[in-house]
Amino acid sequence: MLDNILLGFSTALTPENLLYCFVGVFLGTFIGVLPGLGSLAAISMLLPLSFYLEPTTALIMLAGIYYGGEYGGSIASILLNLPGTPSAAVTCLDGNPMAKQGRAGKALFITAIASFVGGSIGVIALMGFGPAIARMGLSFGPADYFALMLLGLVAAVTVGGGSMVKGLIMVVLGLLLGTIGTDVTSGDFRYTFGFLELRDGVSLVAIAMGLFGIAEVVSSVREANSRKITEKVTMRSMLPTKEEMKKTYGPMMRGSTIGCFLGALPGAGTVIAAFLAYSTEIRIAKDKSIFGKGAIQGVAAPESANNAAAQTAFIPTLTIGIPGSATMSIMLGALMIHGITPGPLLVTDHPKIFWGLIASFWIGNLFLLVLNIPLIGLWVKVLQFPYKYIYPVVVALICIGVFSMRTSVFDVGLVVIFGGLGYLFQRVGYSAAPLILGFVLGPMIEENLRRAMLMARGDPYRMMSDPLTGTILAISALMVAWAVFGAIRSLTTARRLKDMPSSEG
Amino acid sequence: MNIISLRLVVASILALIGLCALIIAIEYDFGTARRMGPGYFPVILSAILTVLAISEIISSLLKPEVKLLDWRPMIAILSAVAGFAVSMYLFGMIPAFFVVIIITTFSERRFGWFPALILASITSFGAWLLFSKFLGMTMPLFQIGF
Repeated sequence: MLDNILLGFSTALTPENLLYCFVGVFLGTFIGVLPGLGSLAAISMLLPLSFYLEPTTALIMLAGIYYGGEYGGSIASILLNLPGTPSAAVTCLDGNPMAKQGRAGKALFITAIASFVGGSIGVIALMGFGPAIARMGLSFGPADYFALMLLGLVAAVTVGGGSMVKGLIMVVLGLLLGTIGTDVTSGDFRYTFGFLELRDGVSLVAIAMGLFGIAEVVSSVREANSRKITEKVTMRSMLPTKEEMKKTYGPMMRGSTIGCFLGALPGAGTVIAAFLAYSTEIRIAKDKSIFGKGAIQGVAAPESANNAAAQTAFIPTLTIGIPGSATMSIMLGALMIHGITPGPLLVTDHPKIFWGLIASFWIGNLFLLVLNIPLIGLWVKVLQFPYKYIYPVVVALICIGVFSMRTSVFDVGLVVIFGGLGYLFQRVGYSAAPLILGFVLGPMIEENLRRAMLMARGDPYRMMSDPLTGTILAISALMVAWAVFGAIRSLTTARRLKDMPSSEG
Repeated sequence: MNIISLRLVVASILALIGLCALIIAIEYDFGTARRMGPGYFPVILSAILTVLAISEIISSLLKPEVKLLDWRPMIAILSAVAGFAVSMYLFGMIPAFFVVIIITTFSERRFGWFPALILASITSFGAWLLFSKFLGMTMPLFQIGF
């Protein structure tokens, strides 16, 4: 164990890797700060830059981009009250009031510290549980994989919030898009419409850039130009008092613990983690009235929770090969482009990559802390820079990024289609994240289901009778039942509330 | 003037996608539950998609809501991306950068030609520096090819 950790750090700590980790964190934060663009867009846009690097170096840089993107997103949400990601929405609840009171610097400082604490605890959990889960994963059969992936999709639809039907539509559309290309088992072409380019399937980056990149830029053009940030963030204004620091220790620890547990679950781990951490703080606080009005605890808890969850979300992605979120799917795609197939064998066959990656996660977190506290003024400047000079460049970068993935003009054309669809979906309230998850898991689900059914001789009951498969499927069924029950209950309470004069604010 | 609910339009697009996918997938070999053919998954998925989308159509007819699109940036940015694809194919990277940036700036009424040109020049220079000099990507900067 200790040997492995040392191996990891010796891999990650070469000057070259450190340099790329730094570059990754820097560029990731830069893109994350731009309104509407988060870590997902940052990874997809910068993925082509990593093609020219060694796999380990490339992954270290990507991990840096990921953390940078996440943190950049928090900066934008606190200062603009415009959450780029659902998990950042929780940070906004108290972060934006703090900014309005002129305490933006402190909010950003605490965000950085809480992210680091949460991230570090998450890394420890990843080190501790990752190999054990990988060992468990070795004994999984196709039916278990199928059940686990189904659980991931069910969780993404039921937990993500919003309409379940819309989420389900997005998942199914994603799965359907995943069938485009050559069928693995029979070698037949499906939905290729005679295009050579479609035989390898639709490019994940083209879909992601269309749905998240272009669609976000289109919808932000109008709003972003009317926004102004007046706060000045200086180094001195960032440092919280000793008393304020003391208040955050508890929330950070509780938040990190909650995040570690929930992040490992497939589905919408980071979002639930942030919400749960925030509501836990409210529940145990003596004075509940401070929340929502700029309580420093309300920033520390969700930020540490969602960063811890972001770390442990790598557990299923790396050790079983099942990504739990849209961002993880892109990470998984990035790993595969670099010739690494995540799964139980990654830990045993490529310890250098696995442990190097984990060590670089931690270094990435550390860089984030040392880089962002002095550079915060720069990020605020980026936010204050007129948006009209930024978005054309973003559109150009999306184009060149998608093009250089496969040197394919066809893929850029796909971005037009998915960008248009993505903007329509967004306007009507369809969330694109389940679509990406469905798209990535689709081919794997199909292959595993086919194998499982072959082994069960076409009898679904036989497949479900396996204790592990059956249990996982039962959990999925329970989640669906719970979500349906919750929807019905909220409908009836909404009706009851409408009948009653409002008693509570 | 009749305002068509955007929700209805999107649900109809989805139903159409599902229906087309279903019609195409019926041609593929369905196979059996034991030995699933290439058509098994697509048929089931597109059938589910069609049914769900139709239920969305119905619920959007019952509860119409008015949502508007920002047509100008949408058309400008989508055509900018399409313009990039075409000019990358025909003329190379630098012209493609000019095309995508200048068309994108049409998203706003008063962007002006001059700032657009300056922005395009700076971005092209930066891209040349990054992609060609630093990363050594082999893509044509200028070309005339059909």
